[in-house]
This record gives sequence, C-alpha cells and structure tokens, in this order.
Amino acid sequence: MDMVSMGLLAAMGALATVAGASEDIESDAGSQSNPNSQVQLAAQVGHPHRIYNKAISGEPPSNALYAAVAAVTASVLMSGFGMSAFFAIAIGAVVAAIFNGIYATTAYMGRNTSQARFNQYVYLDVLRTHTTTIMAHAYITVFCVVSISYIMTASWLPIQHPFPMPLVAFIWGLAIGAIGSSTGDIHYGAEREFQSYPFGAGLNAANSGDIVTKAEAGLRSSIDNAWFCAKFGGPITGMAFGLTVFLDNWRATIFDPATQGGLVVLTGIVIVILFNIYNRIMESRARKRYGPYPEYIGDIEA
Amino acid sequence: MIFDANTALYIIEIVIGGLFVGVGVHFVPVGGAPAAMAQATGVGTGTVQLAAGSGLTGLLSAGMMMSVTDNILLVVASGAVGAMIMIDATMVVGNWSYIYGVGVPPASAKVDYDPITKNPQPPYVSQGTVGHGIPTVCYVSGTIGGLLGGAGGSLIYYALMNINHNPGLSGMFAIGIFVVNAVLASYNIQGTIEGFHDPKFKRVPRAFQACLVASLVIGIIAVLITGGA
Repeated sequence: MDMVSMGLLAAMGALATVAGASEDIESDAGSQSNPNSQVQLAAQVGHPHRIYNKAISGEPPSNALYAAVAAVTASVLMSGFGMSAFFAIAIGAVVAAIFNGIYATTAYMGRNTSQARFNQYVYLDVLRTHTTTIMAHAYITVFCVVSISYIMTASWLPIQHPFPMPLVAFIWGLAIGAIGSSTGDIHYGAEREFQSYPFGAGLNAANSGDIVTKAEAGLRSSIDNAWFCAKFGGPITGMAFGLTVFLDNWRATIFDPATQGGLVVLTGIVIVILFNIYNRIMESRARKRYGPYPEYIGDIEA
Repeated sequence: MIFDANTALYIIEIVIGGLFVGVGVHFVPVGGAPAAMAQATGVGTGTVQLAAGSGLTGLLSAGMMMSVTDNILLVVASGAVGAMIMIDATMVVGNWSYIYGVGVPPASAKVDYDPITKNPQPPYVSQGTVGHGIPTVCYVSGTIGGLLGGAGGSLIYYALMNINHNPGLSGMFAIGIFVVNAVLASYNIQGTIEGFHDPKFKRVPRAFQACLVASLVIGIIAVLITGGA
C-alpha cells in the first residue's frame, strides 16, 4: 500500500459518491426506471400530469451506454489526438449527455403522444426545462464514472486494471444503474409519487396510478421531484455506489493481490459478513420501532 | 486454434460458469417495479439488472486478480467477493430507503416466519402489498446470489483468458455469456422472486437445463471466435 494508491482510492470513492447521487437525481428528474410505471399508469386512471416520462430502458443498460460512449470518445481523443485526460473525459461526457438528451426527448414525446386518448399532453415547457436538467445530471454521472475508469486503467497511475477503459466504464455504468434503480428510486416511487398517502406503508395495489400531480404551488413537475429526492434518495444512492467502488478496491489496495491474494479475498468476506450483521440489526430496530400494522387481522402474533 | 483436451476443459468451465449464473439469479431477491413502490418484497429492480450489476462488478475484481495470478481459486473467489460486496451494499442502502425513506419494516409475504430469524412476517406487511424491504432471509439469499453470479462470471472470464490472453476480448465475451444466462433465468422467474424460500425457487431445475444448453452452445462459439482472434 502506498499513499498515492490510497489517495486515488479516496478520489474514486468521492467520484463514485457524486456519480451515484447525480445518477439517481437524473432518473428522478426524468422519471426513468420502475417508478415510471406509475407515471405511465396515471393518465390512464384519470390523472394527467406534468411529470417527465423517459423510460428509455432499464437504468443499467442506459447508463452503461452513456458511460461507454463517453469512455470511447475520451479514449479516441487521448490516443488519437493526444488530448489531456481532463478535457478528453469532459468532451466524452458532453457526447454522452447529448445521447441522453436525444433519448430523453424522443421517449417523452413518444410516450406522451401515445397517451393522447387519456388527455395526456406533451408540454413543451416541460420538455425545454427538464431535458437540460436531465442532461446536466447525466453529464456529471458520466464524467465521474469515466474518471474512475481512467484512474483504474491509466498507464502512468499505480492501479493497473487489465480491461480497456471503455469496458471498465461500461461495467461501472451498468453497476451505477443497477444501484440507482435499487436504492434511490424507492424514495421517488414509494414516497414522493404517493405523498398524499400516510407515511409508513407501501403502496396499496388498489391505489396504483394515483400519483400526486399538484405541487405546493401550481402543478407538480419532475424538477419538484428531483428537489425532494435530492434530500435523501440521491445521497444514499451515492453512498451505495461509493461503498461499492471504495470497498471493492480498498481490499486490493491495502493488500498486494500478487503476494497476498488470500488476504484480499478474506477481507472481502469479512466485509460481507459485517454487511449481513448490520442488515439484521437494522431490520430488528425497524420492527421494534414501527411495530406491527394495527389493521392486521391474521392469527400470527407479532 | 487447435481443438484439444484443454479446449474441451475451457468449454466445460464456461458451461459451469453459465450454470452458476443461471442458478445464482434465482437467489437474488428482486421485486421488480412493484418493489420500487414498496409493494413487493425484494430489491426494486429487475432480476437481470441487479444480477448483472453485481456479477460484472465481480468480473472487474476477477480481472484485476487474474492480471497478477493464474490461480483459478483466487480469481473465482475474488470475483465472487466483489459481486457480494456490490449486492450487499445495494441491499443495505435499499433497506435504508425502505426503513427511513418510506417508513416500512422489511417483511416477506411468501413465508409466515423468516426461516433464518424465525421472526413473524404477516403482521409487518402493510395493507394491499405483498411485503416490502429486504428481510434477513432475502438478504442472505441475495448474498448467495452475488456469490454464485460473481463466481460464474469469473470462471467464464478465466476460461476465455486462458484461450486468448486478451483481457478486453475475454471480458466482453464473459459479459455476453453472463447476460444470456441471467436473461434465461429471469424468464424462469417471471418478474419477481424473494430468494431461496420463495416457491418459485423450485423452478431452478428448468433454468438449469436451459442454461446448460445455452452455455454449451455459446461456450463453443465463444471459444471458436475468441480463440481464432
């Protein structure tokens, strides 16, 4: 372990945390992924809305695409034109953000026009204000993911991953999408979309599609949702991706994989066991604090 | 390339890796879209998405390990541990979201008592849902899923690397074979599964057969293509 490697690892962890947070807010501002099923359903059950609607694909494939596009562009600029890494990654992220903007626009137009029979309109002001917000967040995500990939693969840096940079970026893009879709989106789907229902319960299947369409003043837009989710869903997504990138690489930094491979694996196993114990403690505390649901009428005792 | 006993061994390794992935996906607790609204137990995403996210994070660890050692055990173990770390971090933070963001305790609707902790489940399931969050049994099951997925992906990568010694090419083909098996398994799951305690888990033998055939065919093709490169 040398100090440069630890410093780079810390930088990777920090970049991953920022990337995770912006990825989640991007998917909330654009309403991608699973909670978007309710946005799609809303107009059909009589709640036309001004929420953005860009379920381009699952988050992992779309983020993998953006990250790979940016990494390929940056690689070409660095190797073919001798550009510095910072500017090459920045330009690569711009290209990825443009891809994101194109997909977001076509998804919003396509999905909302197909729901015209349910009185769902295409709001051009929503398109104009939200698409740039989504692209900006996608830019931050991609810039951070490709920077992590560059740190892992650059020949002059101590971490020497054998995969080419675009492949590393592709995998981290897939991972960040999977994490964003699994963590922060729940805050958007289960809480923000259904704030009119009491806190502390999952969505009753009978209320599907009854999303909140009114804001504190006027009609709710997806930027209102991004504002709300940036307080909890975004940061915890960042922590999840930051933990993944940091812990996965930390064990290979404090021990030398070439001579202490067993210790690298053993450290990982200890981390996994600690995660399992922590989850159990968290579950017990939640059950104790919240208690059973009063409306439960079965005969199994809590 | 010469088709010898070693090549056959590599194909067998790819098939075993594919089977690990196919079976491992059944352990991953995913609630699909309903789980994102705290309407179903498990992680609020798709089976392939989470399995691929964790398995391929494991592939990065395995790739790193294989660049410094040829020890198959270390490479596969490193990949498995990398995948377990990713899926565990995701499930812990997913539970933060359920417990602190939505205010629901983790509860399964497929069993009356958690098979590991023996905690009663139905009183903690909110009305109109089929559970929410990631209770201990699902968490442990997900960790096993990460282990199998990561080990499977790494084994495929190990076999391909021995054929062509090109990390980029092997990594790309390993991702492809991984995703084929994950998708096949997710057809078998049909959307949601809570883990090894879920009645749907009994369908594993069907996925085993399908993944065996798919991995064998794709293994032969992958060996021929990457070996000839």
